[in-house]
Amino acid sequence: MSDARRAVIWLVALAATIVAGDHLLAAVLRKVLLRSQFRYSRLYRGGNRAEILILGDSRGVHSFYAPAIEELTGLRAFNLSYNSLSPRIAEAVLLDYLDHNPPPRMVVLEPTCAIVTGALTAELRTYAGSSPRLAALYAESHPAAAAASRAFWLYPLNSEFFLEALHYMRRTDQDWIHHDVIPHARRAPGGTWRLAPYPGQVDALARIVRLLQRRGIEVRLVIAPYAPIKPPSNAAEFAGLIERRTAAPVWNYVGAIADLDAFADAVHMNERGSRAFLRILARDGFFGMAQPPARF
Amino acid sequence: MLFNSLAFLAFLPIFMIAYWSTKGRVRLWVMLVASLVFYAWWDWRFCFLLLFSALVDYSLGILLENERDDALRRRLIIISVAVNLGLLGFFKYFNFFVGQATGIALRIVLPVGISFYVFKTMSYTIDVYRRTQAAERDLLRFTTFVVFFPELVAGPIVRASRLLPQLARDHRFSYARMVSGLTLIASGYVRKVAIADSIAPLVDIRFAHPEAHNSWSLLIGVYLYAFQIYCDFSGYSSIAIGLARVLGFDFGINFDRPYFSSSFSEFWKRWHISLSSWLRDYLYIPLGGSRGGTWRTYRSLMITMLLGGLWHGANWTFVFWGALHGTYLVVERAFPRRIIPRALSILLVFHLTCFAWVFFRAHSFSNAWEVLTGIASMRGSLADVENRWRTLKCAVMIAVMLAFEAAAFVPKWRTAEVSPAMRLAFVGACAWVVLIFGTFSGNNFIYFQF
Repeated sequence: MSDARRAVIWLVALAATIVAGDHLLAAVLRKVLLRSQFRYSRLYRGGNRAEILILGDSRGVHSFYAPAIEELTGLRAFNLSYNSLSPRIAEAVLLDYLDHNPPPRMVVLEPTCAIVTGALTAELRTYAGSSPRLAALYAESHPAAAAASRAFWLYPLNSEFFLEALHYMRRTDQDWIHHDVIPHARRAPGGTWRLAPYPGQVDALARIVRLLQRRGIEVRLVIAPYAPIKPPSNAAEFAGLIERRTAAPVWNYVGAIADLDAFADAVHMNERGSRAFLRILARDGFFGMAQPPARF
Repeated sequence: MLFNSLAFLAFLPIFMIAYWSTKGRVRLWVMLVASLVFYAWWDWRFCFLLLFSALVDYSLGILLENERDDALRRRLIIISVAVNLGLLGFFKYFNFFVGQATGIALRIVLPVGISFYVFKTMSYTIDVYRRTQAAERDLLRFTTFVVFFPELVAGPIVRASRLLPQLARDHRFSYARMVSGLTLIASGYVRKVAIADSIAPLVDIRFAHPEAHNSWSLLIGVYLYAFQIYCDFSGYSSIAIGLARVLGFDFGINFDRPYFSSSFSEFWKRWHISLSSWLRDYLYIPLGGSRGGTWRTYRSLMITMLLGGLWHGANWTFVFWGALHGTYLVVERAFPRRIIPRALSILLVFHLTCFAWVFFRAHSFSNAWEVLTGIASMRGSLADVENRWRTLKCAVMIAVMLAFEAAAFVPKWRTAEVSPAMRLAFVGACAWVVLIFGTFSGNNFIYFQF
């Protein structure tokens, strides 16, 4: 047999090996993914009976420590927040949650995620196979990669979500929170900055609020504290905008915590901060009252 | 054009078909045009610089061979070195030297690969001057030697004595060469796309804001950088060498498991071999090498390493990196008796290399100092290291790569014949690793900037 013919046979065999291995490995790994205790695997597996559902970006993750909420309220809490989760993605995630799980009693939304745009969309491919909504969002922002995902099934598992899912195979991810404190070198007051929401993301927030109200689910929009070294200069203005667009009250706690040891950095609390914040919320009747107290 | 770009994936099959369907001078033309297209994809204007460099050294090579007067030959070689170093000096070091001295700074774009092709052409004329290399009289062949795309922009620096004779003959397609070449290419892509590019953002955030990271995080960042630069550059070299092998060429090796070195002299025989051997043959030995006594040897080593550092970039941090390696080599020569076991020596060499990498990666001495003092401050805990899962993913891939490299030290495995079926399984596995762990951000290869 000539070298050229052997080369063609080898290349065809290589292509077949790559595709077959890709599909086989991906099928196994997808089963592993959906068995994980990672929040989105739990979401798509279904059967969660959360009474309080939390949605937001990284501030949602580190402000609403689910174990502490459960200790304070005796209610089952499920935090679906994730770093850079925008309201558009949150909307898809929430709708998927309601499709696969019994509805919660209350949904807590951290609205500063409206300043986030498409950073997390690349991660969506991991669960795109379980959610036409996430698949559509992913294809909209990454058309070429979405096409690659259809050809090579391992590619959607090339993500931080998948690594997280592997880590949380046997234990819950609901205790994920910062434990460190702001280094002393970064405690000097910094310059000012503004919360600049994307109009499309604010629209998504408004749609989420309307959807929840239609379904009779209580919704709470809460701006969690920022470290006093560098708070946004327009928090009240931002809260007003969100209230106007969603027609729902915003519980504004921007400056509620002054202790710098309660923060991991300028915008994220740590466990200590989250616990302190949740105690303030409980004291203010947040988990029982339908409206914020008068000072809001 | 980047090896890890969609453009290259489209370019390669077209080139392969054209290459294997032609012979002789037509094939040389195919290689020349393809190489210029490859280079022009970045900036077509610099193709003229590349062709100018080739034309100058082609002409000087012939003049050097024809000329019998030693004084005139000396003048010719000085012209060649001056033109080559002049190009390098202007594009790479003008702002560094003249700018620092006079405050005048020009907006100069550094032509990709200039450090590599200048060294390649310069070594050619030096070899012709030494009469160890015959002058190439075929302009097409010589220009193809200079611009040959697999090694044009980031090496390896394949010298004329190796490449010109290979360009003089037609290579027949070989199944065995194709399979072994694709194996090398696949391993190169794993190193670059799955390992180096996955590490890159983890290193970038640590060196951008060292004060925001705890000691563990910074220490991990330094280790990661050691493997980022290794996987990035050795990945590029593997792809280049593999491509050349598929085309019928033999480039030799450019990296030989450098982090398993138990001494710095061994490290420099394993790291960027084409550059270190170039520096040895065209700088260290002409400076006297180890022939002129202890102090002269030390002096030659230090000068070679300082200039080797400067070759990497116009910044004092690179010079300091070279100085550190020069010092390591001098100390090693001064105390040659091995008093520590080999495994411990490997660890020591690796950590001292990592220490030097801090200066190589940092954008300034103060940045390097922040990283080093951050590590020494012992602040924070391992549990608070950010991006832990990405870090763990990289650590696992590095461990697997090192296990493969360590296995190659077993003589039985190093010399074992690998069947095409095994190679097929290996390339397939590499493709799966790239699919599931690759970072497809189209990152440049680090050595492009050098």
